[in-house]
Amino acid sequence: MRLNQLLPCLLLLTFHPALLLADERLSFNRDIRPILSDHCFACHGFDAKKRQADLRLDTAAGAEADLGGYQAIVPGNPQESAVWQRISTDGDDVMPPEDFHKPLSENQKNILRAWISQGAPYEAHWSFVAPVKPDVPPSTEGNPIDAFLRQRLSEEGLQPNPLADRPTLIRRLTLDLTGLPPTPEEIDAFVANDSETAYEELVDDLQSRVTYGEHMARYWLDLARYADTHGLHLDNERSMWPYRDWVVRAFNQNLRFDDFTRWQLAGDLLESPTRDQLIASGFNRCNVTTSEGGSINDEWVFRYAVDRTATAVEVWMGLTAGCAVCHDHKFDPLSTKEFYSLYAFFHSAADPAMDGNIAETPPILRLIDESDEAKMAALRRQAADIDQQIEQRLRSLDYVDPALLDPQPVAESIEEIWFEDGFPEGANVESSGGPPLQLIAPENGAVYSGKLALRRKADAQIAQDFFAKGAKLRVPDSGKFFAYCYLDPEDPPQAIMIQFHTNAWKNRAVWGDQEKINFGKPDTTEKVHMGDLPATGQWVRLEMEAKQLGLDAGTEVSGFAFTQFSGTITWDHFGVAYQVDKAKDPAWSWQVFVEQGVATIGKRLPDALRRQLQGRNYDQWTVEETEQVRKLWLSEIYAGTQSVLAPFKASKQALEQEISAIEKASPVTFVMADLKKPRDSFVMLRGAYDNPGEQVQRGVPAFLPELPGKSDGSPLNRLDLANWLLRPDHPLTARVTVNRFWQQFFGNGLVLTSADFGSQGQPPSHPELLDWLATQFIADGWDTKQLVRRIVTSHAYRQSSELTPEQLARDPDNRLLARSPRLRLDAEVLRDQALFVSGLLVPAVGGPGVKPYQPPNIWEPVGFGNSNTRYYKQDSGSALYRRSLYTFLKRTAPPPFMSSFDAPNREQSCSLRGRTNTPMQALQLMNDIQHVEAARAFASRIILAGGKTAKQRIEWAWRVVTARQATEPEVGIALAALRQHQSRFEQDANRAAELAQYGESSPDPDIAPEQLAAYTMLANLLLNLDEAVTKN
Amino acid sequence: MNPINEFVREATRRQFFAGAGLKVGGVALASLLAQRGSSIRASDEPASSNAARMHPPLAGLPHFPAKAKRLIYLHMNGAPSQLDLFDYKPGLAKYFDQELPDSVRNGQRITTMTSGQSRFPVAPSKFAYTRCGESGIWMSEMVPHMQTIADEITMIKSVHTEAINHDPACTFVMTGSEVPGKPSLGAWISYGLGSESNDLPAFVVFTPTFPKDSQAQALFTRMWSSGFLPSKYDGVALRGSGDPVLYVKNPPGVDTRDRRIMLDALNQLNHTNYARYHDPETLTRIAQYEMAFRMQASVPELTDLSSESQATLEMYGPGVNEPGTFASSAILARRLVERGVRVVQVLHRGWDQHNRLPKLLKDQCLDVDQATAALIKDLKQRGMLDDTLVVFGGEFGRTVYCQGKLTREDYGRDHHPRNFCMWMAGGGIAKGRTFGETDDFSYNITENPVHLNDLNATILHCLGIDDRRFTYPFQGLEQRLTGVLETRVITEILA
Repeated sequence: MRLNQLLPCLLLLTFHPALLLADERLSFNRDIRPILSDHCFACHGFDAKKRQADLRLDTAAGAEADLGGYQAIVPGNPQESAVWQRISTDGDDVMPPEDFHKPLSENQKNILRAWISQGAPYEAHWSFVAPVKPDVPPSTEGNPIDAFLRQRLSEEGLQPNPLADRPTLIRRLTLDLTGLPPTPEEIDAFVANDSETAYEELVDDLQSRVTYGEHMARYWLDLARYADTHGLHLDNERSMWPYRDWVVRAFNQNLRFDDFTRWQLAGDLLESPTRDQLIASGFNRCNVTTSEGGSINDEWVFRYAVDRTATAVEVWMGLTAGCAVCHDHKFDPLSTKEFYSLYAFFHSAADPAMDGNIAETPPILRLIDESDEAKMAALRRQAADIDQQIEQRLRSLDYVDPALLDPQPVAESIEEIWFEDGFPEGANVESSGGPPLQLIAPENGAVYSGKLALRRKADAQIAQDFFAKGAKLRVPDSGKFFAYCYLDPEDPPQAIMIQFHTNAWKNRAVWGDQEKINFGKPDTTEKVHMGDLPATGQWVRLEMEAKQLGLDAGTEVSGFAFTQFSGTITWDHFGVAYQVDKAKDPAWSWQVFVEQGVATIGKRLPDALRRQLQGRNYDQWTVEETEQVRKLWLSEIYAGTQSVLAPFKASKQALEQEISAIEKASPVTFVMADLKKPRDSFVMLRGAYDNPGEQVQRGVPAFLPELPGKSDGSPLNRLDLANWLLRPDHPLTARVTVNRFWQQFFGNGLVLTSADFGSQGQPPSHPELLDWLATQFIADGWDTKQLVRRIVTSHAYRQSSELTPEQLARDPDNRLLARSPRLRLDAEVLRDQALFVSGLLVPAVGGPGVKPYQPPNIWEPVGFGNSNTRYYKQDSGSALYRRSLYTFLKRTAPPPFMSSFDAPNREQSCSLRGRTNTPMQALQLMNDIQHVEAARAFASRIILAGGKTAKQRIEWAWRVVTARQATEPEVGIALAALRQHQSRFEQDANRAAELAQYGESSPDPDIAPEQLAAYTMLANLLLNLDEAVTKN
Repeated sequence: MNPINEFVREATRRQFFAGAGLKVGGVALASLLAQRGSSIRASDEPASSNAARMHPPLAGLPHFPAKAKRLIYLHMNGAPSQLDLFDYKPGLAKYFDQELPDSVRNGQRITTMTSGQSRFPVAPSKFAYTRCGESGIWMSEMVPHMQTIADEITMIKSVHTEAINHDPACTFVMTGSEVPGKPSLGAWISYGLGSESNDLPAFVVFTPTFPKDSQAQALFTRMWSSGFLPSKYDGVALRGSGDPVLYVKNPPGVDTRDRRIMLDALNQLNHTNYARYHDPETLTRIAQYEMAFRMQASVPELTDLSSESQATLEMYGPGVNEPGTFASSAILARRLVERGVRVVQVLHRGWDQHNRLPKLLKDQCLDVDQATAALIKDLKQRGMLDDTLVVFGGEFGRTVYCQGKLTREDYGRDHHPRNFCMWMAGGGIAKGRTFGETDDFSYNITENPVHLNDLNATILHCLGIDDRRFTYPFQGLEQRLTGVLETRVITEILA
């Protein structure tokens, strides 16, 4: 998270005037704990290891313990209390010690003294006690939110602002609920709607748009640390966008927040999970991962689990668990052991330590759409038909085992031909280094056998004919390859080579000057030198032992190549010779095959069958098992059927390829899954992955509600954790959640530190309101749309954001909400707004990340050489104008339009973005091609739709951008600028044309470039207005 | 209209457009800002003496008088071999191709790239070493130009880190944490000290070109990011191609005059808006647009080297006039600090020599050696070395044992986090000193270890910052660049 606006001390002063009234009752949580936490707990708090003088001040028992004749705190008696003595002294033993650099102010000392006088009552930390629904204060305002806020305002003697005017209101609400501005038509309709419920109707309308989910999702994706790359080292692409689209869907369907939670933390553990539930579980997979060479696996398994734990704890409990990775939390009662008990829920995740630098790191879910499902089903049926036909063939087979014949047949020599008149059936033949494949007949040259031979003439370079897919051949036992070649005596090659392709080109035989053909590592099976070139002008038989080339018996060869350097050669009659002794050959004799034992034949069997048969001789197999193996042998191994079955298998393989092609083309998303056998989890001492301490079981911190073991004795899992978070008496989940939605609309949460509800965080500005919202949220069935509706229909939200000097002085941070906040729009909203008003926005929903305009050299200077996200390849056409939500996010080099406006890089969870105001932002909004092109397109609209005169057009454009009417002086200023631009561009048509043509979309040809350029500058001006980049 | 508002509006406008205009506007603005901060925390508010600055320091900073006013950090990404550059081990020659003694390795963890090797043969450096200058600091023939600045630097031979792989180690060396998300050194410093330039960013980063053949590791924007600090403290990349600063150029067809017309109107309209809402943020925005406009002039001026003397250009060596090279980045680094920029970071890639080390290391040194030495000399001749801190080093070291095939002429080295060399020069740093020692194999530190956190504490110290007191609240903790454990300023290397 980013949190740039921590509560300044000013606020405490606002709430707690320096002059403490004698009879004012102090609250431990509100008044005392923040002081103790900030100034004392580091040495006298929960962390036993760092505790000094054996004194803890975070509990009453600790503070009142007998320290050998004296007590730190004697309730009611400051003078007797060591705490007071030590903080009020001027001596060297003053507390906190000088070198702690956190002295107490006089006011803080007085508060502590008064508290001790009042009996030093302790309270449990406010956020660790379940909220009880408070009564709504009596009020004339219909919305309870306002009742709570008004009570506080009147205590402070402040008046809330009146309602904002309708144009301001519709712009504010439309931006807040959809991330886009309203159209002039929508503004007109809203202004004209005099129904009492006009505003509520507008809320309903906006919440029903698909853009609502898109906008709401954006905030959640910051928390989920969603991105399109792995984030570490190579930072390669990751396929995760279906999760992003699910979040959009979930908000649009108003998925209850309890289910929203359950699905994301544990969708994979729900009973028969739906596709969406599985996609949602990808929340746990959005963390950064690595595949850096040299990494140590244990370290990364540990780190991923820590990240997942800390993220879940921050997102749902608003606590900062990270500290407890290494030591007991100093400020909150979270021990290291308790942290690792939470960690144990995530520690058995099934994803690998190394992501493999692939886009589909398992476990994944393939999302095949319905029409593809149907297509695949049809293909599977066809494949089943073929199986049927194969089976029929096998049934009609009259097999006699040669080993059982008497006498047994003698060994015979067999030559299996791999090339005769052409490459094998189905082979995908290619050629390089010259013209395409040329097969010659006897009338055109020497042919050794059959009808045709392969001839190739090469210039002084490597040339070859080959295939690497489409046909498969098997290397027999003790095979010896042979080939016939004819070297042209007038033009002999300098080197010739035969190459074999298995999973790659790895086995080669070469004759002649082997350096001429620079494939493979010499003196290995990648390149075996067989000798000098054969004699020219005659057919020569070349021979090579399969073993010598590193091709073991049974190896599947998926291609071969005839290669040469220069010269002319004819190849023919290539194949493999071997001896077959059918009575002793497992490819011919069933008996011999099974007698080899499962250890040997196992690799030819499916895994399940192999495991089933493990350790048993064939004579111990059941009839069914024997039948299963025999069927497999006959169809896959028995040499007598292979040629008959080959065409069937080829067609089946084609079907399977088609199926897998469809699968591969279907989107993938990461999902969560646990290992079958959970890992043992330990406290990792000082947070070191290789330093395990005490073993821990899954469990929750003691200061929170219990999570009892399961009645059936099965281990607790993430689903139990999720359900525990959603217990109505859980003190944190609902509070943290409503607070974050509040923050989304008001800029700040009721608890300013929305990611820290612990004692270092800020107490809520309106505790009763927070508790009311939290309990009501649960009572409403965790209804998110309802919660949002409640917030945006409050007067507090709808009031004007105008700021009086009094308000600024009294409540500079607007904690009391006597005015609506003015907030700079987020990165995505700024870009989307420009696209929207320009008419360029392409509203398509969902899909893989797109790559819009980005300046050169954002990815390249940082990208790793082998990374597949090293080079940014900008998209074109409609992909340039999609909503920013869909921009491809590379974590190690995020898009500048995002990062310069405070969007996080998604390396870790972010609960609150900063809101900075920098010159880099100004440069971007003025000069970035996407903003200039949008201004140009907006200029066309201004000219065509804005009216006839320049004044009318300015008025129209002003309304499109700000939703309100421009004042006379405003129009005057804009008009003066437009006139100057016009006269300058009229004097320099070239400059006008350059500006008018910037960007990929074409300018309107009916508008003169000088006009278009001048209005582009006007549009650029309007889109840069403080009012345009701000929610008013 | 409210008469008070009207008065404020008029007053502001008059000041804003008066006299020298922008500068005066800045003052007026700052005084308004001082009433109530902009988007920054209360404690970020400018001290009054700094009111006219765009990047004021934090109140109370520096903690004590600083020796160095600015930092130039030359990061050699990928881990340069200490054994072949600065850590002279003449005794290794006799161990050539012999097994690294177990007593030296001592079961230390090694990366999975070499943990499978059956042998760990010692690879002595093939390069000749010289004692340099009066101080006699050892340097190898790979860095002939750095040899000439030996008397200006302190060589630390005993730096160590915790990470064993590039990504976590780079993240650690630049942010003090292996886990992404923490602010970088430069961001911390610009957060604390601001910058003296009103026309340029406070923290500028270069990612220069590197030898084509080299084994380059990735960089990460997190190495100059603001982490959990406000994003205005992000390092701004000064780029070798395209716009030197992102979006600093007007779009085609738009010239400075056009931009000024637009900005004048924008300022007037934004003042009108201020009169309506009285939002101090609006005034900040007006000032930022003006700074953006000034940057449009100051950045081209910065990158235009025509005012540099021929002698100076030659000193930086070939490539100095070629945008994007290390030499060009080095001279621009000097020009930036001259103009008040607080931190400049140059991240040069390609130092990861797992094999072919002698050849590839030579290429790397050719890229940086001359310009690095020139930068020190150039700062010195301008009297700026005394208050400019320069740091040179990588993210970890390399092993004495060979990775891959070993010959006298050719070898490779794996990652070695247990000790490596860095040097520092300038503001606050002793001249011509060597600190820390390693064993005969450059495998273990034998005296004066310097943890990276201590090194960073020392860098901050030179800049007048006490790292223990330099904190930012995040995730419930007073976060520090140097982490939660005790740190030590290495006083022995201070002048």
